[in-house]
Amino acid sequence: MNAPPVIELKNISKRFLNLQALDGVNFDLREGETHALVGENGAGKSTLMRILAGLYPEYEGEYRLRGQQIHLTSPRDALNRGIGMIHQELSVMPELSVAENLFLGRQITRWGAIDWKKMNAVAQTELAKLGFDDIDVLKPLGNYSLGTQQVVEVLRVMLSGAQVLIMDEPTSALSPAEVERLIQLIDTLRQTNRSIIYISHFLEEVMRVADRITVLRDGRKVDTLDKSATNINHLISLILGHEVEAALPLETSQADGHTLLDIQHLTADVFNDISLKVNKGEIVGLYGAIGAGHFDLARAVFGMYRFDSGTISVDGKIFPRNFSASYAINHGLAYATESRRKSLFMDEAIYRNVTMPHLRRISLLFSRTQQELEVAEPVVERVNVQPGDPMNAVGKLSGGNQQKVVIARWLAFPPKVFVMSEPTRGMDVGAKSEVMHILRDFRNQGYGVLVASSEPETVLAVCDRVMVMSRGKVVAEMVNKNLNKDVLMRLL
Amino acid sequence: MSIQTDNLDAPASRLRTESQSSVWLRRFTALAPLWTLLALVIFFSIASPTFARPINFNNILAQISTLAIFGTGMTFVLLTGEIDLSIAAVAGLAGMIAAYLYANLDYQEPIPTIAALGASTLLGLVGGFASTRFRIPTFMATLALSLIAGGLNTYVSKGRVISDLPEIAAFLGSGRIGGQSGFRVIIIVAALSLLAGHLVLRYTRFGRYVYMTGASKSAARLVGVNTDRILLITLTISGFAAGLAGIVSMGRLGSAQPIAIPSYLIDTIGAVVLGGTALTGGRGGIPQTVMGLLIYGTLRNGLDNIPSIDIYLKDFITGVVLLAALVVNLVLSGRRARDKTS
Repeated sequence: MNAPPVIELKNISKRFLNLQALDGVNFDLREGETHALVGENGAGKSTLMRILAGLYPEYEGEYRLRGQQIHLTSPRDALNRGIGMIHQELSVMPELSVAENLFLGRQITRWGAIDWKKMNAVAQTELAKLGFDDIDVLKPLGNYSLGTQQVVEVLRVMLSGAQVLIMDEPTSALSPAEVERLIQLIDTLRQTNRSIIYISHFLEEVMRVADRITVLRDGRKVDTLDKSATNINHLISLILGHEVEAALPLETSQADGHTLLDIQHLTADVFNDISLKVNKGEIVGLYGAIGAGHFDLARAVFGMYRFDSGTISVDGKIFPRNFSASYAINHGLAYATESRRKSLFMDEAIYRNVTMPHLRRISLLFSRTQQELEVAEPVVERVNVQPGDPMNAVGKLSGGNQQKVVIARWLAFPPKVFVMSEPTRGMDVGAKSEVMHILRDFRNQGYGVLVASSEPETVLAVCDRVMVMSRGKVVAEMVNKNLNKDVLMRLL
Repeated sequence: MSIQTDNLDAPASRLRTESQSSVWLRRFTALAPLWTLLALVIFFSIASPTFARPINFNNILAQISTLAIFGTGMTFVLLTGEIDLSIAAVAGLAGMIAAYLYANLDYQEPIPTIAALGASTLLGLVGGFASTRFRIPTFMATLALSLIAGGLNTYVSKGRVISDLPEIAAFLGSGRIGGQSGFRVIIIVAALSLLAGHLVLRYTRFGRYVYMTGASKSAARLVGVNTDRILLITLTISGFAAGLAGIVSMGRLGSAQPIAIPSYLIDTIGAVVLGGTALTGGRGGIPQTVMGLLIYGTLRNGLDNIPSIDIYLKDFITGVVLLAALVVNLVLSGRRARDKTS
């Protein structure tokens, strides 16, 4: 373990406008080592990784590759120097064959034409070397599971000459069996003396694959530890910056009262056998890492994600198979997606964004500005959109105020249950607390709220009950009493 | 809660909080199509001795009337961000059906005309069904539909022109109200079709859904709009409009042709887009289409009125001016996106 460092970062800092994303971070990667990067959302992991992979050419500090100072200008440049990145969102071409994907952009040619025979043969042997001889390189990659696609992506980056592989949350969307496969692959890579930077939310996994672990918090490095010198509880305390309590408050209770939203055994490709209830006057949190399936579950409840089996009922009414969003709206559901950009008409006036789901209730056939304003103005005022002129285009508002418009839209004709994904993402503190206040207010009037989020702070701040999802399954359900971040993180 | 009614008539003024000069600049550039039209009219009035006569202006209106009917339907489709390439062929088929039923099978009016309109509406519905149900892009679905309609036309007509026209067609296409020198019916038909389109788009819930589907499909779906149904209906409207345009065009030309007039498609899309309706959807409308039609008609007619221009160059010049006008409109209206990824 005394090999010279392959990569050495000294005193790296990176600033975005008024946010210090990284502040004097040191980092080193040894030959043949798997080095994990852990930290909360916003701790600086992705920024550091992007600098390592050449995606952010502007930063302060020193970047050394095998002792030589370099400054990467692009991901292409990084790859030419043997540093390759495997993205969270795979960049594979599902229509092309496995072999074609492996040689994407650098096909083997012979007299100017692609040498299919050779390419397929090389692909097959390389996959076999890694222990994946069950993959048929002639089949379209889209026929294979996400886990296999990940393997192909890893091999593709390796074949283009990478000695250093950066993996960003490689397992967040994989099934447990696929995770095992990936961990085996990482062991194989270690034997070929390749170095891996491994970024993950899953600390158990990190403890299995990593040789060393670097913890980041608020853009600073907290520590770099040998795996043998730490354990999960220790890591969590380093990540959060305070001591953690030893025991889990696994108090499971079903808030009694009238059930407004009842989901039974809901199953689709990305979530499996989910059952949950939202009662009258209750905010239920659905917490999970990105890729856990909770956002798609929220969509399914609103008829916007096709599910294979299970039932959804609202206030006793069982929804039919393949119900539409407008059916859901008419039966007392509202939904706000995690992407504001996707849910608003940016060029249109605030009032039009508010009244869009309700035009049928406002007037029979013709839409009249006057009537629409009468509906929109009180709710826009109630959620305190600033500036609050309902004639303003939504696109000119700040992110927080746009989110308030999304909420106001559904308060005009209150639903029984409000399903929201990431209600406060990317908002400043003031707007955040305003939005949370609105949600609590809504709950106190006797309605139900389901909040899907990957931000533990949001869930802890606003929910009465929290369900934790991991890889498409509910792994825990807890009353939000004495609940804290370390409990949530340990359950992921 | 009180509603401020004082400013409701001028929402534009409430939308802006910029300096006075930039408000004026914006107003000026927002009217780019109007300036283009004025420039063309002034240019042709100077360059041609025959252009600036009242009777010629009447001619221009008659010339763009067929396009206006096509354009009404096309505006709906473009607003949703889709396209209908079948209109010329559907129009040709509609004309042929009416003429065939009337001349060869001796059906009495209004059956031939109703049958023709019914057939074209049905074809629009088929195109809409194909693209929404089976996720075939409208570009392909309507292109195939164009072949189907054109093929049916050839089959029905056996390649022969029919010049014994149904009365309604003749009346709508070349009739006049109030004697030989009266007002042309075709202009009234076009104006009514534009007006109907405008009322639907501007004032009905369906019209709002059309705009919002084009502005952001995802946002429209998230508020419960069935965007597939909206697209299906717009393509059906476009089919009906194409049928009506086909009947009017047949009456104007005095015969039903066994092949479609291909320039109808290009001219319609050209005029609608020139007016400022975005191909990407969500922006534009019938007033914009009217402007586009006037510019297009003025350009075409003006070139005819300059005797020194080689008639074989006319299409070329129209194309060049069309491209230039599109560029000017785009630059002036500041529509270029700031976000380069979108």
